[in-house]
Amino acid sequence: MTAAAIEMRSINKIFGPVKALDEADLVVESGTIHGLVGQNGAGKSTIIKILAGIYRRTSGDVSVFGKRLEQITPAAIEAEGVHFIHQDRLLVPTATVAEAIFLRNEPRFGPFINYRQMNRRASELLHRYFELDLNPRTLISELSTAQQKIVQITRALAHDAKILVLDEPTAALVSKEVESLFSVLRRLKADGLAIVFISHYMSEILEICDVVTVLRNGTDVGVVDPSEVGIQKIVEMMTNRDTSEMYPRRNVEIGAPVMSVKNLTVDGAFENVTFDIHAGEILGLTGLLGSGDKEVLNALFGQIKPDAGEIILHGKKQKFGSPVDAVNGGVAKIPEDRRAHGVATGLSVGENMSLASLGQVSTKGFVDRKKESQVIDGLIRDLGIKTPDRHTLVKNLSGGNQQKVVVGKWLSCNSEIYLLDEPTVAVDVGAKVEIYNLMNRLAAEGKGQVFVSSDLEEVTEMCDRVLVIYRGKIIAEYKRGEIDADRLLAAASGTVAETERKRA
Amino acid sequence: MTNQTDTAVRESRFSLEAASNYAVIVAFVAVVIFFTFAAPGFMTGENIFNLISNKVVLLAIVALGMTIVIGAGGIDLSVGVSIDLSSMIFIMMIAAGYMGAFAVMGGLGAAFCVGLLNAFLINKLKINPFLATLGVLFIGKSIQQLSTQGGVPIYLTRAEYAAPFDAIARTSLLGIPTPMIILVICIIGVYLALHRSVFGRYVAALGAQADVARYSGIRVPMHMSIVFISCAVLSGITGILLSSTVRSYVPLAGDAFLLDAIGATFIGTAISAERRPSVLGTLIGVALLAVMRNGLLLIGWNFFWQQVGIGVLVFLVLGLSFGLRKRGE
Repeated sequence: MTAAAIEMRSINKIFGPVKALDEADLVVESGTIHGLVGQNGAGKSTIIKILAGIYRRTSGDVSVFGKRLEQITPAAIEAEGVHFIHQDRLLVPTATVAEAIFLRNEPRFGPFINYRQMNRRASELLHRYFELDLNPRTLISELSTAQQKIVQITRALAHDAKILVLDEPTAALVSKEVESLFSVLRRLKADGLAIVFISHYMSEILEICDVVTVLRNGTDVGVVDPSEVGIQKIVEMMTNRDTSEMYPRRNVEIGAPVMSVKNLTVDGAFENVTFDIHAGEILGLTGLLGSGDKEVLNALFGQIKPDAGEIILHGKKQKFGSPVDAVNGGVAKIPEDRRAHGVATGLSVGENMSLASLGQVSTKGFVDRKKESQVIDGLIRDLGIKTPDRHTLVKNLSGGNQQKVVVGKWLSCNSEIYLLDEPTVAVDVGAKVEIYNLMNRLAAEGKGQVFVSSDLEEVTEMCDRVLVIYRGKIIAEYKRGEIDADRLLAAASGTVAETERKRA
Repeated sequence: MTNQTDTAVRESRFSLEAASNYAVIVAFVAVVIFFTFAAPGFMTGENIFNLISNKVVLLAIVALGMTIVIGAGGIDLSVGVSIDLSSMIFIMMIAAGYMGAFAVMGGLGAAFCVGLLNAFLINKLKINPFLATLGVLFIGKSIQQLSTQGGVPIYLTRAEYAAPFDAIARTSLLGIPTPMIILVICIIGVYLALHRSVFGRYVAALGAQADVARYSGIRVPMHMSIVFISCAVLSGITGILLSSTVRSYVPLAGDAFLLDAIGATFIGTAISAERRPSVLGTLIGVALLAVMRNGLLLIGWNFFWQQVGIGVLVFLVLGLSFGLRKRGE
């Protein structure tokens, strides 16, 4: 029997008082796609960073193709044919496609780079592996996220990769792009590569992985075949709890409309969008990437100015020239990119939570720190934010707790309307449940919510009503009971419009 | 066994982290003690008094302004222009026979305009603060040269001009010279603004992540304007104090303050656990720079070697402070 591609045994990693990995094993065979799953903090990224030579293990053995590696450095592990496609960054935006692919491996002509040869070979590689005709002189910054992933993978292949480690490769991709990525991975698997695939999306794990290692609290709690045991079982192994409570139920009386949107139009993004948001209601807004759903949220938050139509709040017509006006009108937004727009990670929990409501805890421009800390401590307790105290920097909190800080910020300024833009993206299962609970809580308090998500399952489970937007127009509306994921997907891809057009 | 090591690790980490925050203060105390023994003239009432009233006051006020700007995530390279234009207008108005109070307002008004121009470039033309204020720095230099036939100083040393200058630089209240009182007022004002007021929180948010501030409904352009105008006006105050002390306007004299103000602010960030600019930190930074200059001069280092001494000290303090912290993490 040949040696496994990767064999990591009894890996321990201790960070100060924290034991991040506890006797963890990871064994990956050639010619397989091996899933690595676990909640945030389970040790996925730690074990990968040990393999990548970014962290040094406290103890344990690492072998690649049977060769024991003592001290791993990023350069040494690449020399063994192990390549990492990290979640973000790592491509220079101002480099061309060919430059990115051949970085540190440039074809030379004496001391000079042979650009002609480099560009030709880049084209060949892209065509051979991906049947992609991409101009090798295109700048990385001009590529879509999916194309950037492909360039990263091509770079690994150009360096003669035998093992690929992909960390959340699909996070920013739309479904068609995911499909093409998967077919590439299957082809590479057939060529005998070993592929480690890390993802939060269970459906993808099920679709692409031959075998899955489940990590929990730094230990591997199981190595299973996903098609045999099913998603439910894997999630239960990850969380050590039953998944029937994944989408907590709520029982909320839906009240009067709190915000009305009439014929709202932003040229080039969406047109004639009309709907009401009621107190206590969660209104889903879903569509394919670029359908205009996000732009509707942006317009409701004053980030883009509508070209026509009106927003009516508390019976009064509003003109939102900027987020300042929207916030003053009682509109809150939970932005998609939490760490860029939601929380200031370098500020403390308290400073973040009072940022939008300082006016209420200050007199004549001076902050009443006693009053402020009362409000903040109350919210920390209320929302169950796991933090040593309010002075802790937000960057030391987990993703789910950071999201709670964002919500706390708006609760403290008594916002009435919550615009949620992909609030559960890139958080683990446990944190998702907490966010759903939070949404239910907001509903129970009579807040109106507009929920934009591309995860159709959570839209189906969480919303009272769903509007489907297709090419900037609302083409379907479903009430609770009528909502199901297949219907939403059909509508989002425009099938409803087709049938209606035929009827008309 | 494991528990023991864990505790040991934690304790050493905490003490390292704590130590890293005090590195600047320890360095300051050490430098003061060193010069007390090494330079006989250093620890005398007269020397300390002169040091504070001539060096510390002027730099500290500019550095306070820089603290606000850097706290908001910006940088102001045009503080020298604010100092010089304030000084120039002030002196020219005195020379033209205006009342002292009007001349002061004229000078501060000029500085205000510099801040306003910065704010306009940053908010309306969306130029980043570094380039915006760099451009203003170039323009400001030219303006001074054009208005002074290529940089000829204006001296108002004759007795007929003495009254307004003396009123600013030579008076005192309860034995404390007026410039020092002005510094204390500036310190209290900036402290309250940055560390006690809503404005200060917004500045911190802008400095940490401007997008989050925008998403929280904060009026970003308005606060940026206040930030840059405050810095310019504070620099203008230094311009007036400087001119009053020397009874003259020397073109481009304000340039000397720019790097010291930035340096003091960044040295000062070492005292806060989050490495943020703060009023106290900046004042310690200013004092450290001033004591080093003065002490090295007193022990007889020539001007050219002073810079080396200060450079090495900055490396030592910041290396110690940030290095310890990194080890602690």
